[in-house]
Amino acid sequence: MAGDAKVRDGLVAESALTGERPKGGRLRAWFADHSRVASDTSLFVSQRLMSSFLVWLMVGVALTLPGLLWIAQSNAQTFNQEWQGSAGLTVYMKLAASEQLIDDMEARLNRETGVERVILTTPDQALSDLLEQSDDSMFLQDAMTAVGSNPLPASFAVVLNDGRSYLQLDALSRNLSAQTGVDDVVIEMTWLERLRDLSDLANRMGSALSIMLLIAAVLVAFASVRLAIESRLGELRVLALIGATPAQMRRPFLYFGSAYGIGGGVTAIMLIAVFLNQIEAPLRSLLASYRAGIDIVGFTPGFLLAILLVGWFLGVAGALLALFQRGGADKPPS
Amino acid sequence: MALLQLQHVTRRFDNGQEGLSDVSLSIESGSMVFLTGHSGAGKSTLLKMLIGAEAPTTGRVLVDGSDVSQLGPRQMPWYRRQVGIVLQDHNLLEDRTVFDNVALPLRITHLPTKDIARRVRGALSTVDLSDKGGLFPRHLSTGEQQRVGIARAVVNRPRIILADEPTGNLDPYLSRQVMSLFHQFSDLGSTVLVASHDIDLIKDQGCRILHLSQGALVQDTAAPPEASR
Repeated sequence: MAGDAKVRDGLVAESALTGERPKGGRLRAWFADHSRVASDTSLFVSQRLMSSFLVWLMVGVALTLPGLLWIAQSNAQTFNQEWQGSAGLTVYMKLAASEQLIDDMEARLNRETGVERVILTTPDQALSDLLEQSDDSMFLQDAMTAVGSNPLPASFAVVLNDGRSYLQLDALSRNLSAQTGVDDVVIEMTWLERLRDLSDLANRMGSALSIMLLIAAVLVAFASVRLAIESRLGELRVLALIGATPAQMRRPFLYFGSAYGIGGGVTAIMLIAVFLNQIEAPLRSLLASYRAGIDIVGFTPGFLLAILLVGWFLGVAGALLALFQRGGADKPPS
Repeated sequence: MALLQLQHVTRRFDNGQEGLSDVSLSIESGSMVFLTGHSGAGKSTLLKMLIGAEAPTTGRVLVDGSDVSQLGPRQMPWYRRQVGIVLQDHNLLEDRTVFDNVALPLRITHLPTKDIARRVRGALSTVDLSDKGGLFPRHLSTGEQQRVGIARAVVNRPRIILADEPTGNLDPYLSRQVMSLFHQFSDLGSTVLVASHDIDLIKDQGCRILHLSQGALVQDTAAPPEASR
């Protein structure tokens, strides 16, 4: 066993005295401490890769729905804006409507509040357009000759200059339908408005669900960090015993929370990317059937960063909750 | 000069029992003192008060004139860095090597890595474990684990060393070796307070002995003038 000289050589000669400050200053020491904790956290997470992966998956799934909802809302806004310009009505006159009636209707429509422009399509123009757009114009031409007269009515395309609600458009439509010489009024935005109403409903339900899922993500991080605290309770108590500050004892667990949150964010990004990739083709096909084309927007670097930040925030919130709940962890061992 | 002082300290637990009952004592700086008594006599309670893990119900626990129970959460860590604590069950971290266990008190003080390495090597050399730094605690014998615990307690060269049954798991030979180490630390200026129920071991150490019974200080035997070890 060591003798006196050895003790002196071992401790005194090695300057193992308290009160010495690190030569590199507090900042370097602070970075060194964070670097060590980050390294310990990586080791802790990698040693429990399967359970860490499950935590990332749970947090990721909880983040995916709000992320998708945000993308859906962004695209719905773009879609609405694109269709806003073509919002309006088409007024079909009766075949027997006289030119006077048609002129009166055009004047009336131009007087209507909110009407940007009125485009008259005469029966001859309608027929000409139909023949142009038809794949088999010769057959159509023969059919028209057989009928003997133009079966197409005069019509007005009414373009509105503001985003009227469906109800207002419907009231205008009813009013116009009651006019003499009018055969039918078609609101072009009908399906879109209904879609918009459904979309509003879905957004509200989605927002509520998103909040619940974000809370679930915090709870997942909380439970995981809580387990980490329990598994390192002995270490915490030893650290308290040897004089670690509360911040030093909290730090590893805040890093765990960050690792779980950011890992969950990365998982969410991957899940969202896969989901968007899977729906892109059928969505394009659906929109094409409505003669609409749209690019899915929102999956931008800013969005990815936001998902990571939200994940990090939720992870840290869960860790803080666990530390708050396990407040007595810093008591020295008995 | 008295470094450690207890002034009419009573510690009453929630169940009404008294862990300590009106205990007053003072311990000089640089001295080595034994605290003895049966299990439940109040030895551990007294040590816990000295490290600030428990507060007295009445009375004051003073270290260098400062009341330990009045230290706030910010001050307590800095106080504990001046106290080396050795426990019967070592409390070593099983997933860290011997080197890392001993380095813990230095790492929390933000000491540069090369200084930590030098000091840990010095502390391990002191307890004759220079070649065991890379091993994990489970690879060591009970006596070696106890010496690692001592190395961790003294690596920071604390002003005060508190040991709670440090020889409880050791055979007589190893127990004497551990006591020899405490004497050496005391000779270097540390104030050493060792709680032990092994009266046969401590009576030959030539130190002052405080005898606790049912929470009360019933006997205070001064060190003989010619202390023999």
